[in-house]
Amino acid sequence: MIGDYDIQDAEERKISDEIQIPAYESEFMNAKMFLQLASTNTGDNLYDHLCETLNKILSERPLNVIDFFEEYSRRIKEKRYRPQTDHLEDIYVSPSSFDVANLMVPMLKPLSPLEPSTVDPADLEVADMSENNMLELLYYLEHCGLGLPRPEMFYVMLSMRKLVHTEPISTIRFWGKIFGTLKNYLIVECELKNEEYLKKNEAYNEEYFDEAKKQESVNMEALDENRIRKALDEIARMQQFGGEGSKYPRNLPPEPKSQYEEPPEPPPEPSGFGLNKLVYYVNTGIGEPWIQLPDVTPKQIRTSRLVYKSFTGNLDEPVLTYPKFPGNEREYLRAQIARITSGTQISPLGYYTFGGVQLGEGEEEEEEEGQGEEAAEEAKSDFRKNPKYEAPPLKDLLDPSMSFWVHHTPFILPQGRTTWWNPIPLPEGAGEGAEESENEEEKLGEEEEEMDKRRFSVEPETGPPLLTPLSEDAAVEAIPPWSIRCSSSIMDDFALAIVRSNLWPGAYCLSTQGPIFHNVYLGFGLKYMEHNFSPMPLPPVQQEYPIGPEVMEMTDPTGAQEEQWRIDHLPKPMEEFLPMGEELGEGEEEEDEIIEDDD
Amino acid sequence: MNLNDILHSLDCSGHFGHVVSTEEAIILYNSLLILQNENHFKEVFFWGKIFGSEKDYYIAYGYEKDILYGKVFYYSLNCIDWGLMPKATKMGLLLTPLCTTKFQGDPSLIIDILIEKEETLVPAKRKQAELRKLKEEDRLAATVSLIFDEAGIIPRMGIFRRPDGMVINNTAFEGLKSIDAREWSSYLHFRVPTRKQNTNLLTSDDYNYATDFLDPIDMDIPEGCWMLRIGQAEDVAILKSLHWPGLVFYHHLRTPKHGFLYFGHGKRCLDVPFMLSPYQM
Repeated sequence: MIGDYDIQDAEERKISDEIQIPAYESEFMNAKMFLQLASTNTGDNLYDHLCETLNKILSERPLNVIDFFEEYSRRIKEKRYRPQTDHLEDIYVSPSSFDVANLMVPMLKPLSPLEPSTVDPADLEVADMSENNMLELLYYLEHCGLGLPRPEMFYVMLSMRKLVHTEPISTIRFWGKIFGTLKNYLIVECELKNEEYLKKNEAYNEEYFDEAKKQESVNMEALDENRIRKALDEIARMQQFGGEGSKYPRNLPPEPKSQYEEPPEPPPEPSGFGLNKLVYYVNTGIGEPWIQLPDVTPKQIRTSRLVYKSFTGNLDEPVLTYPKFPGNEREYLRAQIARITSGTQISPLGYYTFGGVQLGEGEEEEEEEGQGEEAAEEAKSDFRKNPKYEAPPLKDLLDPSMSFWVHHTPFILPQGRTTWWNPIPLPEGAGEGAEESENEEEKLGEEEEEMDKRRFSVEPETGPPLLTPLSEDAAVEAIPPWSIRCSSSIMDDFALAIVRSNLWPGAYCLSTQGPIFHNVYLGFGLKYMEHNFSPMPLPPVQQEYPIGPEVMEMTDPTGAQEEQWRIDHLPKPMEEFLPMGEELGEGEEEEDEIIEDDD
Repeated sequence: MNLNDILHSLDCSGHFGHVVSTEEAIILYNSLLILQNENHFKEVFFWGKIFGSEKDYYIAYGYEKDILYGKVFYYSLNCIDWGLMPKATKMGLLLTPLCTTKFQGDPSLIIDILIEKEETLVPAKRKQAELRKLKEEDRLAATVSLIFDEAGIIPRMGIFRRPDGMVINNTAFEGLKSIDAREWSSYLHFRVPTRKQNTNLLTSDDYNYATDFLDPIDMDIPEGCWMLRIGQAEDVAILKSLHWPGLVFYHHLRTPKHGFLYFGHGKRCLDVPFMLSPYQM
């Protein structure tokens, strides 16, 4: 075929040779002249453009170029219009990634030696970083279908190393990442040194006193307001016609008082205990500093359960919700972290044991159940690593009943604390230290309160004890709270067990077949909702005044009724002052009417 | 996500925290190539994963000629055996938003859906609450099609409509510049356009008939329902949808690499207006 074609081609060429175009040269010149005509708009001509386009296509040789011919042609044109004479060309524009490099390089340098101090070097304990190999964690995460970009992980590792040198931290762990609309939060979970907790608690108590004082001054202001109110009444009375002695206007009714009494607010758990046992640091990206989050209060926990708000990435952003959230995004983040931690931190059975006698492997499981409740009473947060821990076999870890996984963080009670606080304080100073200062105002009503206490004793809220297996978790609205997966269906020997929380999407726990397990959270920081979120309804409108005839709504009298009333109430001795009486009667009639109603 | 990217998902969807795990990626890469070969697909994409309480669904799609109109979806429970996903039925699309349960992981499961008397989503005159049945497979198909329509994204100029109407990948696409990447109008819905062509064309200054026929995402309501993040080194743009938490779109700026993945429960988040700050909207 090819041969045929060649022959044909050759023949045609012969023919075309024979047919002589009369003015071959000038035709060609004409056409070229036309193509080279400069556009009146831009000064460009088609000839050069085609040359350039073909040149580019031939040198680049893209696939199916005919499909994109317009695109090529357009792009060449575009390039032509970029300023040729760049007067700023001597200025070097640094690539955008330069900034990141600038931030990263200082982190790569070895840490500056600690300032010489008189403290015994043995006392200068620096947190153990050996369990924080983030690249190893990333390796496991990647096997489980999770992960963060490698530079980020490396940066977290570097900055954690720096953090333990600058802050009084005794243990540190990567907690996870929460995504915000503008920035994301990287979060580490730390335990501070004991003396640091003491300091924090002292500072807190002082603040508490300050607040009590502020409360008093607010009360004073309220008194002031009453005074203003009286003065206003006085003025109103003076301005009304009729003077002092008249019965108009009547005294204004007393100002309505709010009947609502705020239920007593449980005090926050002191630093180092319960929800405030651990301290969280957040960071929004490479080069940003670690910022410590404040301790969480029960009210923040309770409010965060009622709202559904995404994070922005700015810690000082106000959280505009109903009910009002006490604090900014900083506090909201801390509250959500506390809730997520409490709900999703799990460990394989037997990794932690309650303090006490070390038990053998076999006995432990049975013993733990029984021990759980007692231990919960005595030393609720007192558990530690089991030195004899051996990971349960993978088959058990993957058991869908979830009985081989336990919670190791305390349950948050509806009150917003992990330990129950009695809202009705015991009479003989049995309350906590912080409470006493609060009681000063309440002392007046103490007798009543005691009466109350006898009337109804409050039932303490309880939650499941620590180290309860996940199989005990209640399924919320028919959703199983946990799903379990195996990282590999082929290589059983190296597979990891992955536990995924269905209630907190983004919370995962992974365990190797060895003694390594990790809890990690990578998500939006919001709880799963089966149905849509509906904000809390507004409370019913409070009653301003006791309901009586004055405030009852009633239909206006009709003209006929009014007329009837007027006729009925006409003064008896009509003849005496008929002309004046009529007019006055008209004017005051309406006010009269009201007074009559009052009676 | 294009199959070629699947082995490097840490650099793409890792910004969102979820990746295709090492083993899955290798299995998917090979099994999808086989799928491509069997179906004579020009290209094959991994769409994402829908988490079920028992098992997870893996979803992939490919096309023979037309990237926009010719998509064929497949699903699998083990990454190896791929089954053709049915087309989303009209009833399935109507009933899926009413499903509140989680996916189970069993395509043949029949779900009972209670339609309230006053329900307006399913148009019909009913005197009392009605019970409808929906197969999980159909629900899956409807969910995938809903997510694709509402949250599937391509960067502007990413696809190209040929003069004969066929929509193909734009091989001349060189990637968005970092300035353009900050504009909502640089991202287009990867769906059959729902707005008039004129509207779509005229909203951009430098419009192009071949690429600007799709709906840009800047008109999506409420404003702020997309989260855009440009990587710190300005090398990657990450878009996340608040309506479909779990969907992540990535685009390596100044390169033609782009794609999106879904890792989630397959439920639309209807609470977006509550989640945004008033002045953010």
